[in-house]
Amino acid sequence: MAIDLLNVRFHYPQQPNHEVLNIPSWTLPVGEQVFIHGPSGGGKSTLLSVLSGLLIPDEGQVSIFGQRLDQMPNRRRNQFRANHIGYVFQQFNLIPYLNALDNIQLASRFAQRKKAPVLLGDIKKLLTDLNISASDWHRPARALSIGQQQRVAIARALINKPELLIADEPTSSLDPFNKEAFMALLMSMVSENGISLVFVSHDLSLSHYFNRVESLNVINRCGDSP
Amino acid sequence: MFAKLALQSLFDRKGSVVLSLMAMTVSIFVLLGVEHIRHQTKENFSNTVSGVDLVVGARTGSLNLLLYSIFRIGAPTNNISWETYEAIASNAKVKWAVPLSLGDSHKGFRVLGTTGDYFDYFSYANQQHLNLAKGKAFHQVFDVVLGAQVAKKLGYQLGDKLALAHGIAATSFSLHDDRPFTVVGILAPTGTPVDQTLHVSLQGLEAIHIDWQQGVKMPGSTITQAELEKAKLQPKSVTALILGLESKMATFRVQRAINQYKQEPLLAILPGVALSELWQMMAVIENTLLLVSALVFIAACLGVSAMLLSSIRERQHEIQLLRVIGAPAYFLFFLIELEALFIALLSCVLGAGLLSVCLVFLQNYLLGHFGLHIGSNFLTGNNLSLMLAVICASVLVAIIPALSGYRQARIVKR
Repeated sequence: MAIDLLNVRFHYPQQPNHEVLNIPSWTLPVGEQVFIHGPSGGGKSTLLSVLSGLLIPDEGQVSIFGQRLDQMPNRRRNQFRANHIGYVFQQFNLIPYLNALDNIQLASRFAQRKKAPVLLGDIKKLLTDLNISASDWHRPARALSIGQQQRVAIARALINKPELLIADEPTSSLDPFNKEAFMALLMSMVSENGISLVFVSHDLSLSHYFNRVESLNVINRCGDSP
Repeated sequence: MFAKLALQSLFDRKGSVVLSLMAMTVSIFVLLGVEHIRHQTKENFSNTVSGVDLVVGARTGSLNLLLYSIFRIGAPTNNISWETYEAIASNAKVKWAVPLSLGDSHKGFRVLGTTGDYFDYFSYANQQHLNLAKGKAFHQVFDVVLGAQVAKKLGYQLGDKLALAHGIAATSFSLHDDRPFTVVGILAPTGTPVDQTLHVSLQGLEAIHIDWQQGVKMPGSTITQAELEKAKLQPKSVTALILGLESKMATFRVQRAINQYKQEPLLAILPGVALSELWQMMAVIENTLLLVSALVFIAACLGVSAMLLSSIRERQHEIQLLRVIGAPAYFLFFLIELEALFIALLSCVLGAGLLSVCLVFLQNYLLGHFGLHIGSNFLTGNNLSLMLAVICASVLVAIIPALSGYRQARIVKR
């Protein structure tokens, strides 16, 4: 299994009486892509933070590729996230003052998988595959259009060859044309590399890209209150 | 890569960063400047006199005697008689005694009346004797030997004639212009008050005052220059004496004997001891200056920290992003520290640069007006360790924003 959740419960320490997650059981097989939709405030971001190991559940098991995130020491969890999990947000995916190449290099620096020369070739190939023209590689991220930024974000998320990609409303700030282009690129990249994908969005029109579509309200038993 | 991240991040916030950088630069400039001038002054003063075992003058404070006789600062209180000089010079324990006579000036530079022995016995710094860059020591009554600065500032050459002024003001209305002196020698620079002094013979001083009474020129003088040179010009008194002794062991005994001299109230001092008294007095001022510059520096450090701290709020997304791509929370701590370190390093370079530029421009002014020879090489071990301390301090103060960055990194956005 790419993801295996069992009896996961979570609440923020600031609000001890308000449980945000209560997931009895949920799994994602390796190489599968799932679309999760749900209203904002339904514990969406919290679930993704738990999946990426940024948050540790109060109880329950979080296994990613058979590794128990909830039992890992901090250091190994950071390393695991850098090596195995890619993440694409709705916005703020890039350090605004670094250019595309540096942004991607920075991500690979935390994973420490490859030597710099090999890496630069990989980055350039990824950027070319994602239709970022070479003239934009050296511009600071904030000078790129939103569509370009999101595509660079995919490159950044994929540079460490993660087995799992988490996408948190990645298309919400894109116009319809860019949205379709982005989805097409993302899905082809993911299936080409056999990456498991958790795609969260409130936009049900995107669900046709996926074989598996689930509602957060069904996965999470305490999604009734915001 | 991480250094690049820190630098780019600083560059991205250049407005506030440049201001904090300027505050740091100015504070480091002040700190280094005060420390450098402090050391140079001390070295200067200590270098001014060496090889002189005792300084003897009329009874006054030991500092006062040291200042007017050696540093040409302030005015002598009283003179000592020629008979006393002869008595002290004939003491068996005294190897040499050189009389000093002060009170006249030339365009703001002090005139020292002395004997030829002065050039043989007076030494400065590390037992260095005075050297003549040009010409020779004085032999005639109206010969004058110039200090290096005097010759340079006033543009005198060998053979030039100059008139001395009565008193020590920069502009004097009572000139000894009836009896000009001829420049016969120019001394090599020493970096001591000697450079700002005109040296003439005691006879020369006697000669220009011969028909003066109570400090005023008497009209109707008929004595000619030629007659003067022939006349026996025996001074009746001198301002101070510098002594060299046969044996250092005798110093305190000779000092006591002079201090208890029955015929005239005298004071003998050890230049080293008087200098250390001077340092004790100066220490308060020095330490106050150093304290103030340290406080200015701490204020600048806090300014940098405040700037970094406020930047953390506007960098929340950035911090979150770094965490998501695998940065541990402590990475943020080191990133902020690295930024503080870069600011400190750059400020050190800029502050040191500013100081060396200022020293180059101020050197002549300080030498001309205060007789301070401040070297432009301030990168001594002492100042380097000061810079190191500065960098350590700024890294230490940056712990506050760095911790805040660390905490921010531990908070997961909902």
